[in-house]
Amino acid sequence: MKIAILLKQVPVKDATLELSGDNTWIDEDDVQFEINDSDHYGLAEALNIAKANDGEVTVVTMGPDRVKDSIKQALAKGAHKAIHIDDEEMSSTDPLTRAKVIAEAIKDENFDLILSGLQSDDFGYGQTGVLIAEILGMPHATLVVETEILEGKIKVKRELEGGWFQNAELPLPALLSIQSGLTDIPYATIKGIMMAKKKPVAEVDADDLGVDLDTGAFKLQKIYTPVKSKETVVLDGDADSIVSQLIDKLKNEAKVL
Amino acid sequence: MASEYVSLQNIKFLLHDVHRVEDLMQYPLYADYDGDSIDMIIDTLKELADEYLFPYLEECDRFEVQYENGKVKVHPQILKVMQMMGENGWIGAPYPVEVGGMQLPHMVAILNEYIFAAANNNLNGYPSLTMGAAGLIISFGNEELIETYLEKMLTGKWQGTMALTEPQAGSSLSDITTIAVPTYAGHYQIKGTKTFISAGDYEGIENVVHLTLAKIEGAPAGAKGISLFVVPKSRVGADGKLQPNGVATAGIFHKLGQRGYVTTQLALGDDDNCHGYLVGEPHHGLAYMFQMMNASRISVGSHGAGIASAAYHASLEFARERTQGRRWNDRDLTLPQTEIVNHPDIRRMLFMQKAIAEGGLSLVLQCTRYEDLHAVSDGEEKEKYYLLLELLTPLVKTFPADAGIQSVSHGLQVLGGSGFCEDYPLEQYYRDIRIMSIYEGTTGMQSLDLLGRKVQLNKGLAFKLFLGEMQQTMAEAADMPELQKYAGQLKSEVEKLVGVTKHLGKIAATGDIELFLADATPYQQMFSLVAIAWQWLKQGITANKVLQAQEKQGDDLKFYQSKLHTLKFFYVYELPKTEALAAAITSGENLTVLKDDDLLI
Repeated sequence: MKIAILLKQVPVKDATLELSGDNTWIDEDDVQFEINDSDHYGLAEALNIAKANDGEVTVVTMGPDRVKDSIKQALAKGAHKAIHIDDEEMSSTDPLTRAKVIAEAIKDENFDLILSGLQSDDFGYGQTGVLIAEILGMPHATLVVETEILEGKIKVKRELEGGWFQNAELPLPALLSIQSGLTDIPYATIKGIMMAKKKPVAEVDADDLGVDLDTGAFKLQKIYTPVKSKETVVLDGDADSIVSQLIDKLKNEAKVL
Repeated sequence: MASEYVSLQNIKFLLHDVHRVEDLMQYPLYADYDGDSIDMIIDTLKELADEYLFPYLEECDRFEVQYENGKVKVHPQILKVMQMMGENGWIGAPYPVEVGGMQLPHMVAILNEYIFAAANNNLNGYPSLTMGAAGLIISFGNEELIETYLEKMLTGKWQGTMALTEPQAGSSLSDITTIAVPTYAGHYQIKGTKTFISAGDYEGIENVVHLTLAKIEGAPAGAKGISLFVVPKSRVGADGKLQPNGVATAGIFHKLGQRGYVTTQLALGDDDNCHGYLVGEPHHGLAYMFQMMNASRISVGSHGAGIASAAYHASLEFARERTQGRRWNDRDLTLPQTEIVNHPDIRRMLFMQKAIAEGGLSLVLQCTRYEDLHAVSDGEEKEKYYLLLELLTPLVKTFPADAGIQSVSHGLQVLGGSGFCEDYPLEQYYRDIRIMSIYEGTTGMQSLDLLGRKVQLNKGLAFKLFLGEMQQTMAEAADMPELQKYAGQLKSEVEKLVGVTKHLGKIAATGDIELFLADATPYQQMFSLVAIAWQWLKQGITANKVLQAQEKQGDDLKFYQSKLHTLKFFYVYELPKTEALAAAITSGENLTVLKDDDLLI
């Protein structure tokens, strides 16, 4: 069984972020990067399915040269090989464009199953996976919390809102986005780290894929740093008066009542 | 709860830039590793510590080990840590590939100890002791012992311990009375009592393998009669199944700190049915055990540095958030209060914490570098690294422990009243680190070892080699205008240390050994300050090179600036303490030596 895990590299959680000069992204010069948190769960599920079904896991990552560190980590955690889509010259943050590039790069791999995490910690669109499925003509399911491989199909349990779940069966090949927390995330072993150096990593240049990078569907105009503001107001008066003032402020200023 | 406990940037700076772990890769033993794989190992250790250890720090303390009806109940996370460490190959990491290890350089393996101790020093001892005990079986055990015990220990299924101390014999191991009687079946019948045995027993673990010191019946008196035995809690029967082996847990100790790390008293052979299996040759047990003890001493140093690091991060985090008063030159009371990290006295305590924690870790890596170079070299080079490691082992065990206690105490003080309360981790760190000056040889014993044995080792060659190592560093620093002053200061301190050593040597020559050794601890303290000053100068050289290149910005730039600043702090506030120590040692007053009248009343 051929399984792909779409893995993204994002800035580390506690990174100090500065905006880039044109305010369309961050200045990456002094920023460290790591595997997107929810993608760990996708990788874990891919490894579990592969183990149970004599499968092979391929890490698929798009990004500049720095993403190779994350690829190595995923290989050290048990993935068998990787595809690195080098997009050094491509600045698009449009999920549709990115999905088109990834789909083009992997379409001939004939994966039986493609997994992704829930969403990325940087943009948080949660769209790339399902767009790839649409482009490749695959069924897809999001927020998956349970999987079971059946003959030629996969049974999944999806987590809905309000404590509801949905059970569904999808014919293979299919694409799933995995809900965080589904399984224990994998850790590298020393043996895995040493073996990772010998595992194959295929290099694909995004520019060579012939994908139209200007979909026109999405344009990021500007990003902002949230403005920090703190104002302490001391309410005077007797208890009844303070309660009245407080309720008024919660209703009309904070608008939480 | 603080959010951080170690700095990966500091670890990688020390490992790669100051102590050049990459030098080891030229040797076949470590040729499979490279800088990237080592960084991945360090990152993975931090991830594991974040997941398996750090979240349970407080719980391990509050969920104190319990002893009921001969059973020891511990926090369930211990079994998970043992399983994780075993299944993922971390317990056997430094050992040869042929026995199931990964030949991981000691410089890297010790960072496992450091990071895990910083994350939760109630949990890291279990796999650490198992690693050490397994190492004795690998080095000195026969094929049968290796076949029976090694795989189970390296995979974390069986716990390993070191069983040395007895109620009447702590530091003085030559007085142990545990007896081993040979049998025709080949094993020995063991009888005796062992006390203060860490990780000696707990529910849920399949077996506990005690590497035990005992005297074979009729053995010579003293240390020359000590042999080493494997004494399992459960022995493997003829049917391959485990059966009781006459090892009873008589009780556990309720301690000031490390309350999640069980310390047991063991009764061996009360039923006259406790089998022990000889390791190596009879009567060589203490020499064998020193392999584990020396490794454990470096480990303890790494644990002390680790807890000091965790305390520093917790204190710094508090000091950056807690507001109180205003800066002395800014007395406008209508202004908001300032964060306490802006007050000089708080900064003094925080810099002291940093200087000790990071200086201590640097010495730990220096020692493990010698350990690795000893493993890959031959002839005179091998002897050189052996001697340097022998000389510095008492220091690397003691400084991060003793100074670490002061460091954590300063950290607690930064928090004021909050530091004294359970709401913050400082009070636990303060209790937990206290044992580091006691186990694996007390500070007093380490100091006696330093002055009584190590300084004189090979007719003083170890000491001369150490002076040579420092000379190299001082020469390099002297060529840097920014560091010349500190190179000069260290040169004076080295001369002072040599002078005090000669003074003590003259006393030794009179044959009055008690007087000679009376001030071994102040001597060790002085020696330690010089050794840590050397480590800070090494860090300063590396940081200064980076700063001179002017390629760093932002937080990276601050990291290197902070290194230079902390070097200066250590040389201004800590290193001059040698003056008082030297004065006491050379005073000629001899106030601690018992004379005719004992004036301790």
